Amino acid sequence: MAATTQERPLDLERPIKEIGTDLAARMPRPRLVSTARVEQRMTELLMKDPALRAALFRFVDVRPACATPADLIRHLHEFLADAESKTAQRATGITGRPLARRPLAAVAGAGVKRMAQQFIVGEDAKDALPEITKLWRGGVETTVDLLGEATVSETEADVYMRRCEETLRALAGAATKPGQVNLSVKVSALTPLLRPTAPERGIEGARPRLEHLLRVAKEVGAHLHVDMESFDTREAITALTLDLLSQPEFADGPSAGIVLQAYLVDSPEHLDELLAWAERTPRTHPFVIRLVKGAYWDHEVVQAAQNGWAPPVFTDRRECDRNFEALSRRLIDATPTVKVAIASHNLRSISHAAAYADARGVGNDDLEFQILRGLGDDTQAAIAATGRQVRAYCPVGDLVAGMAYLVRRLLENTANDSFLAAHASGTDTAELLEAP
Amino acid sequence: MNTFRNEPLLELRRGTVRDEALAALSALDAKLPLDVPMLIGEDVVHGQVFASVDPSAPATVVANAHAATAQHVADAITAAERGQRTWSQRPASERAAALSRAAGILRSRRFELAALAVREAGKPWAEADGDVAEAIDFLEYYAQGALALDGGRPLIQMPGERNAMRYVARGITGVIAPWNFPLAIAAGMVSAALATGNAVILKPAEQAPACAKAVVDALHAGGVPLEALSFLPGGDEPGKALVADPRIHTIVFTGSCAAGLNILQTANTFVPGQRHIKKVIAEMGGKNAVIVDSDADLDDVVPGLLKSAFAFGGQKCSAASRALIHKAVADELAERLAGAISTLRVGPAADFATDVPPVIDIAAQQRIQGYIDSAKPLAQGDSRDDGFYVAPTLFQGLPTDHKVIQEEIFGPVLSLETVESVEHACELVDQSAFALTGGLFSRSPRTIEYVTERTPVGNLYVNREITGAMVGRQPFGGGRLSGTGPKAGGPDYLLQFVEARAVSENTVRHGLVV
Repeated sequence: MAATTQERPLDLERPIKEIGTDLAARMPRPRLVSTARVEQRMTELLMKDPALRAALFRFVDVRPACATPADLIRHLHEFLADAESKTAQRATGITGRPLARRPLAAVAGAGVKRMAQQFIVGEDAKDALPEITKLWRGGVETTVDLLGEATVSETEADVYMRRCEETLRALAGAATKPGQVNLSVKVSALTPLLRPTAPERGIEGARPRLEHLLRVAKEVGAHLHVDMESFDTREAITALTLDLLSQPEFADGPSAGIVLQAYLVDSPEHLDELLAWAERTPRTHPFVIRLVKGAYWDHEVVQAAQNGWAPPVFTDRRECDRNFEALSRRLIDATPTVKVAIASHNLRSISHAAAYADARGVGNDDLEFQILRGLGDDTQAAIAATGRQVRAYCPVGDLVAGMAYLVRRLLENTANDSFLAAHASGTDTAELLEAP
Repeated sequence: MNTFRNEPLLELRRGTVRDEALAALSALDAKLPLDVPMLIGEDVVHGQVFASVDPSAPATVVANAHAATAQHVADAITAAERGQRTWSQRPASERAAALSRAAGILRSRRFELAALAVREAGKPWAEADGDVAEAIDFLEYYAQGALALDGGRPLIQMPGERNAMRYVARGITGVIAPWNFPLAIAAGMVSAALATGNAVILKPAEQAPACAKAVVDALHAGGVPLEALSFLPGGDEPGKALVADPRIHTIVFTGSCAAGLNILQTANTFVPGQRHIKKVIAEMGGKNAVIVDSDADLDDVVPGLLKSAFAFGGQKCSAASRALIHKAVADELAERLAGAISTLRVGPAADFATDVPPVIDIAAQQRIQGYIDSAKPLAQGDSRDDGFYVAPTLFQGLPTDHKVIQEEIFGPVLSLETVESVEHACELVDQSAFALTGGLFSRSPRTIEYVTERTPVGNLYVNREITGAMVGRQPFGGGRLSGTGPKAGGPDYLLQFVEARAVSENTVRHGLVV
């Protein structure tokens, strides 16, 4: 879109720096981060050594499939042996290498579980309630995401739908004020029929279950948010969500929303579609659009490369960040027809959206910030402390189900271009706040 | 070789691309039935007509082809004797350029040819498109490979002698192609022979002559002389005559094990007047097993097995027909697969929503149904009766000597067997007479190493589906009764089509090295 670059108000950079500096000052400094020493050292090692990073991810990934401690140790040993042999091939020695065994061994078994618990608030809704109500009491809103295995049958889709319903009702029972119950759902878990070349099959398959959940959400006064997944499924997810929300029975509730992925090259056009729909579909609760960078970048790039396609995602981080900002501005301009959620851990992206919203006089009623529980806790605290609305995305599930989620978050957390990695390694705040 | 890139697949997940595909299908439908005559040297020859039909709608005739007789084969070989002389004398670069131009022609007819494979072979769109892309890949890959081969191999040189080894064409090559990759395998076998300077006579599968004709037309239009490439649709008669003729040097075959063994026998029977040993390059199917270890991620295993066993109705040489599952996860996986099989939509190949298309013809339908009726299924998907449909079927716990476990079914049938360990699974695989593809789902590097060393199969796929070999990335072919071993789409394949000539020249004249 031509509009993405020409509209930046000239006076935005100063407020961005002010807001960002203020937020950074409210976050614990890297050296004071209250994570255990083992985890701290592990994060450092992982960022320095891709082979070790791969070994750890493979270990975390296989952890729930290991029936016995012996089985667990065998896998760990194999991954380590492979990592060491690769590292040894390098021309220069890696000083961290002799240290590798200790921190990696330390995360074995209970360690992985503890790590998973840092991201996952509980095994099920009941188990998660204490943690969630604690966040509520601290002024932080939540959205719950039920982790699970891939849905390959209708039975599994029914199980996921029932878990969603139980969660909505359990949260409603504990809620202390209206609008507090918020659940994020995955269409891929609501049907085994999603097919990239036939979106209508996934739409038909998921429709009755999503419709049921919308009715439950309306009944208990909850917000239902439809998550976005890989590009293969975007068409089906979008069409299904917009179609159901166009039904007269849902015009006056529940509150509902969808996700816009800024890493997609055609996300500006996708936003056109979402905004046009929102304009012509009046709702009692404004349609919520959560802006994210997108969590399937590696998948999209690999799939495109293997099939000979142009990747659907930006491969340049700065271009992606610029798009995120352009979309933020368009979304904020579209309030109050839509409600905006800026879901990012990037200090610059957050500060930019806050500064632009301030300039446009858009406040907490129409704009909130979202962070991932366990990953953006410091950011969440800082945003909340400045009086802006913040919501934590809280995964709920058992250890087995949590692994795919955990691996993805760990990959993000230790990626070279990760804001958190940069922050943890002590990158200067001013540098983090530079315009992309 | 390093400039080769696989032809990009159509991005069918985008609605605009799907629309273009459907438009191409409508355009094709308006032209049906196609006429597919014989092409014998310079002549377009007509004969007794037989039809290829749409397996999704058998009343629809896709092509009327003209059946070759033994006499037509003899005529084609006579033409090929002339073609062999002229074509083998062309520079390798000229031959490669012709193949590359043919690839360009296929590329320009991308949607149309995919539509043809949808109609004539009952291939679902993604598979049909993969077939076109692979045909293009073979042409480009072998064109470049033949150029690389043209320089010969370096030899040890001594003072006073000049040693050289180069490769020359073997001679007239008979190609007998299958229907399941009606474009790609025909293009691959023909172009490997042509690239290395051999004249070719192609006998396409009876079920898909129009697809093969499209490949031949592209090669002729690209610059392959008519005499160097003849085309003989038909059934057994031309195939048998082609194999038996003493003037044939090389026979390239992809098809059933029984037919392959017959070809080997005939080809090895010396005919009076024959002045060479015939060579047979055969790819003859498999009984492919996927091993699932206790540490496998079942979220990956279920879709991987569904795709391997049921995509294109299991009608790929590489398709999975056995899953050997560690006892620790056997019950859970069986339950999830049983639930998943009913999510597969059985339907016409042209429908983008179809997961499992019909099988190729009524004979295949009846043969596969015989296997399905021979035991009680664990679970079964839908079927329908307006085409050659077979319900995707899952068996569990059949005795090892059951024919469903032992024989190649070539249909949408998967049997689950519980094993004590990966070692146990490897023993079962080792007992098979086939050794084409195999799969392993495991997250243990040592287990992956173990199975890699222990397996007899030609292509092992780890933590992924076991079909979909790509030219230059997964050179394809198996051992034992699965074939004679050369890897199609790999760096060694062209060596099957050439003979080496070594020349050693004395460069000493009057005691001086000149």
